[in-house]
Amino acid sequence: MQNFGSNNDLDEKGHVMTDQPKIKVKFEPKPKPSTCPICTVEYYQQFFDIEQRDVYMRIRCSLLSWKPEFYQCVGKNPDLWGPLWISTTIIFILFAGGNLSRFLLEEDKRHFKYEYNYMYVAVLVVYAMAFIIPIILGVIMKYILKSELGVFEIVCMYGYSLSVYMFVLILCIIPYNEAQWFFLMCGLANSTIFLLVNLWDFMKKNKQTTLIAVPIISFNVALILCFKFYFFRLIYAVDD
Amino acid sequence: MEFEVQENQANNSIQGVINLQPQVNQVQAQQQEIPIKQTDLQVSSTLEESVAVTLLRDLRQIGVKLRCVLVPTMSTNNARELRNWDLWGPLVFCLMLALTLSMSGNNDDGPGIFATIFVLIWVGSFVVTLNAQLLGGKVSFFQSVCVLGYCVFPINLGALFTLFFSFFYLKMLLVIGCFMWSTYSAVGFLKLLIPEQKRILALYPVILFYLFLSWFALIV
Repeated sequence: MQNFGSNNDLDEKGHVMTDQPKIKVKFEPKPKPSTCPICTVEYYQQFFDIEQRDVYMRIRCSLLSWKPEFYQCVGKNPDLWGPLWISTTIIFILFAGGNLSRFLLEEDKRHFKYEYNYMYVAVLVVYAMAFIIPIILGVIMKYILKSELGVFEIVCMYGYSLSVYMFVLILCIIPYNEAQWFFLMCGLANSTIFLLVNLWDFMKKNKQTTLIAVPIISFNVALILCFKFYFFRLIYAVDD
Repeated sequence: MEFEVQENQANNSIQGVINLQPQVNQVQAQQQEIPIKQTDLQVSSTLEESVAVTLLRDLRQIGVKLRCVLVPTMSTNNARELRNWDLWGPLVFCLMLALTLSMSGNNDDGPGIFATIFVLIWVGSFVVTLNAQLLGGKVSFFQSVCVLGYCVFPINLGALFTLFFSFFYLKMLLVIGCFMWSTYSAVGFLKLLIPEQKRILALYPVILFYLFLSWFALIV
């Protein structure tokens, strides 16, 4: 008779059959390793501890970007719901709206070729802007410049700064060059001002204005140039 | 052979006892029914039936679950049926949708579209379910993936019908109808499992997921 496990409290169950061999089996979940807390799903649960009212307030904070109220909105509770689903919405708008804009301008609508590459490029560009760049910036700010802002606060802020593009990119479906540039410039201004205004205290305190402001502005400019020249490019038929 | 298990909810473990009878008669041992608590499966009888019977039973289970999911009534029968999740149904509908869209005549890149739809459905279901769980919803992971996969069926129907119509506005109406049917079914299942003040946060990704798929069904 073999015994797997050392537990003997099964006797009260009354499963004793005297003539037959018995195996007592106990399955226990393995204790979770604590070496990599950031790799577990449970770690991220703290970033989804918000309600729909909070998300609405944060998006409103980011749209009224000239008021430095984001930290009052966020408090000690940065979230990842906003960055994730705002960027995914923007990907959908780029994929659907970019092609729709080209379709509206196309003369030969029967032979319109849908560009599926828009989706792959959009995923790359938008998730890089919403996650990779703020993580790098946050790590630099926290570990090199010794800021009290954590990495996830910066990611949260960047994610909500993109919320204006949800509305701007829908308006960019209108296939007029000047209109598209106007809307994109509004979006750029709103997004950049939001980031700079909310990081202003930190920048002034550490006198690191240029080091932080220049990358923020340049990445935002690069983003709208990408939107305009890849997703919403307008190719006019040449008349002469 | 008797095998009984009991869940120990305190420390999330299973305890049980296996009684092995000496196997004096192989045939006799095989024909005994093993009463296993957690599932309805009778192991010995399914080993002997023909392949056709097994397949038909699986198809019938898929059909029953499909009816539960797509005719969204709040009966307890539905809820019980859906707790027995399976991933065959979602796989069948995912493959059907990916094949339909990749083989339609308007596009150059059939294999690319097949891969995109396949990845989109599985990764999308995974992410939407993870989102609902992280928001504190009491939703079992595979059960939610199962329901989201079954709710892809109306979009499947929409994609099949759009192959036969070329009038764009009719296609658009059809796809919008299928999208609303899918979303209504999925939302109906999930909304009861999420706390009230986080409901929109959990349901918006579901809407986005079916919007993506419906958009593909429309443009391809």
